[in-house]
Amino acid sequence: MSEKLLEIKNLKLFFNKGKKNEVRAVNDISFDIFKGETLGLVGESGCGKSTTGRTIIRLYNATDGEVLYKGENVHDSKSKSKTLEFNRTMQMIFQDPYASLNPRMKVNDIIAEGIDLHGLAKTKEERSKMVFDLLETVGLNRDHAGRYPHEFSGGQRQRIGIARALAVDPEFIIADEPISALDVSIQAQVVNLLKKLQREKGLTFLFIAHDLSMVKYISDRIGVMYYGKLVELTTSDELYRNPLHPYTKSLLSSIPFPDPEHERNRVRISYDPADHNYGENDEVKMREVTPGHYVLCSEKEFKEMADHSSTIKNV
Amino acid sequence: MESILQVKNLNISFNTYAGEVKAIRGVDFDLKKGETLAIVGESGSGKSVTTKSIMQLLPKSNSEIKQGSEILFDGKNLVDLSDKEMEKVRGKDISMIFQDPMTSLNPTMKIGKQIAEPLIKHQKFSKKQAMDRALELLKLVGLPQPETRIHQYPHQFSGGQRQRIVIAVALACNPKVLIADEPTTALDVTIQAQILDLMKNLQKKIDTSIIFITHDLGVVANVADRVAVMYGGKIVEVGTVDEIFYNPQHPYTWGLISSMPSIDADDDELFVIPGSPPDLLNPPKGDAFALRNRYAMAIDLEEEPPMFKVSDTHYAATWLLHPDAPKVEPPEAVKRRQHKFTGGNHTEGEVFQ
Repeated sequence: MSEKLLEIKNLKLFFNKGKKNEVRAVNDISFDIFKGETLGLVGESGCGKSTTGRTIIRLYNATDGEVLYKGENVHDSKSKSKTLEFNRTMQMIFQDPYASLNPRMKVNDIIAEGIDLHGLAKTKEERSKMVFDLLETVGLNRDHAGRYPHEFSGGQRQRIGIARALAVDPEFIIADEPISALDVSIQAQVVNLLKKLQREKGLTFLFIAHDLSMVKYISDRIGVMYYGKLVELTTSDELYRNPLHPYTKSLLSSIPFPDPEHERNRVRISYDPADHNYGENDEVKMREVTPGHYVLCSEKEFKEMADHSSTIKNV
Repeated sequence: MESILQVKNLNISFNTYAGEVKAIRGVDFDLKKGETLAIVGESGSGKSVTTKSIMQLLPKSNSEIKQGSEILFDGKNLVDLSDKEMEKVRGKDISMIFQDPMTSLNPTMKIGKQIAEPLIKHQKFSKKQAMDRALELLKLVGLPQPETRIHQYPHQFSGGQRQRIVIAVALACNPKVLIADEPTTALDVTIQAQILDLMKNLQKKIDTSIIFITHDLGVVANVADRVAVMYGGKIVEVGTVDEIFYNPQHPYTWGLISSMPSIDADDDELFVIPGSPPDLLNPPKGDAFALRNRYAMAIDLEEEPPMFKVSDTHYAATWLLHPDAPKVEPPEAVKRRQHKFTGGNHTEGEVFQ
């Protein structure tokens, strides 16, 4: 396994902490992201997947827990230069390509904002050259630099958002539902672009989405979230072949699949958290059932799953 | 099977400051009794405009339904009806479910009253009768605790619950035709699965025909009996769900199907339809898809292809089906699907219409 780029340890984010209306959006989750991989994060709306992404990049201040970037706790950093450097290496692509670009700024200023902040260009010419190169990298051309966001289609705007994230030469990109707002044919274009960039620049992605077929396609590993908890984490193939947590099974059974035969034979599994019947003494935590396959479970469930998985392996 | 709704030679234009946008250019289809017809296509292909014209919901100020367009329902041409006459059809015989359950309910009105409204208007129910029926409908769409929740406001419900309420409103008068415009796009997958199941069950119970608009091919495979593929304001292919998914003929349908990742195969790169949709201000002379079509032939740029017959239920508008056209290999993803196809092909290149 390659080196760990990011370690998230017992991360918590509570809104309205200590008040009556406290919301435990992210409730004690831990996982690692390895260099060069794409980790997919899926779950229903309100499960805390976006909040997790936003807390990692520090758009929210974590209630508790640590985020270690290359072994250093970046959220506690006291030095300004460290924080600035952290902000440069970690970038974000947002869901809504209409709302995430300032309508009053020209494309070259949107893309170059990060370049200016971090002083990456020495001269004006260098700055424009960087912007032109970025536009070409994402499949637009230099004529687009002088235009405003409203002159572009949704897919093109998402490309501008990607160019902006790439401008400061980051190592890690959080993509929060980057394709949900786009048409199917355009989705394929953007996903191909993200994959190509990853190959060429060795980027690491945290890909947050609810469209499971696209997530399976782009991710090396997938984490499934439910009510602020990570319930299962494993490679994408293993997750589809051998889902262990009942919520994952339910989620997989509800994705419509573009094949009429498959749809006619679909059996939908529903999930009720009460079915776990956890007792007071049950310690419910992430356990490694098979190597690299983590599931949130009690000791008893762990044994059942381990038995089940070994029978599958033997077949 | 008997047709309940027929659309013939529908042409619709919008007058914009830039000129006349020919949004719908000769659409023909019929909806059979009790079936679900899915209309698919990318944004701007004309799916929503077609269905809005059936409901006569297009703004009169800037849109124009051309002479010769026919929407035949119950012996009437809906295009010719006055606003008053149309009000009697809308919400009673034909009703609609919209994409966004957050905005299609009135936020200041209790949901029971919203469901009762069409009953009082169309069926001349008394208030009491209408509220009783509203309660029944809420039970039918599976809303928990309907007796208390009937007195609540839309903001007190989740997205999936609101969509159930919208469905209850739409079904209140047992419509003959239900138009569902992306009804599950705004919902989570688990909720989407519930709503799709609900719609299928209700369809059996009240025997309605559904036009289902979506761009999600997974949803299409789940709900549709027949599928119409729209591109550039026209229907380019129509067939049963098996014919469209396992034996597609039009290169645009090939593109749509191959641009979705498949769960069983590991493709290195997703297939992408190059270019962008046609500009309907100046619709192209030949096949509107020609410039994005790698199978395009010289004639595609010159002349629009007619509908060729593939089978009794399957038609496609592409010159590739002409007897003189060279045989081409469809993309890999499509070939993988073809072995699942059990139906027959009509290969004489017969022109339909």
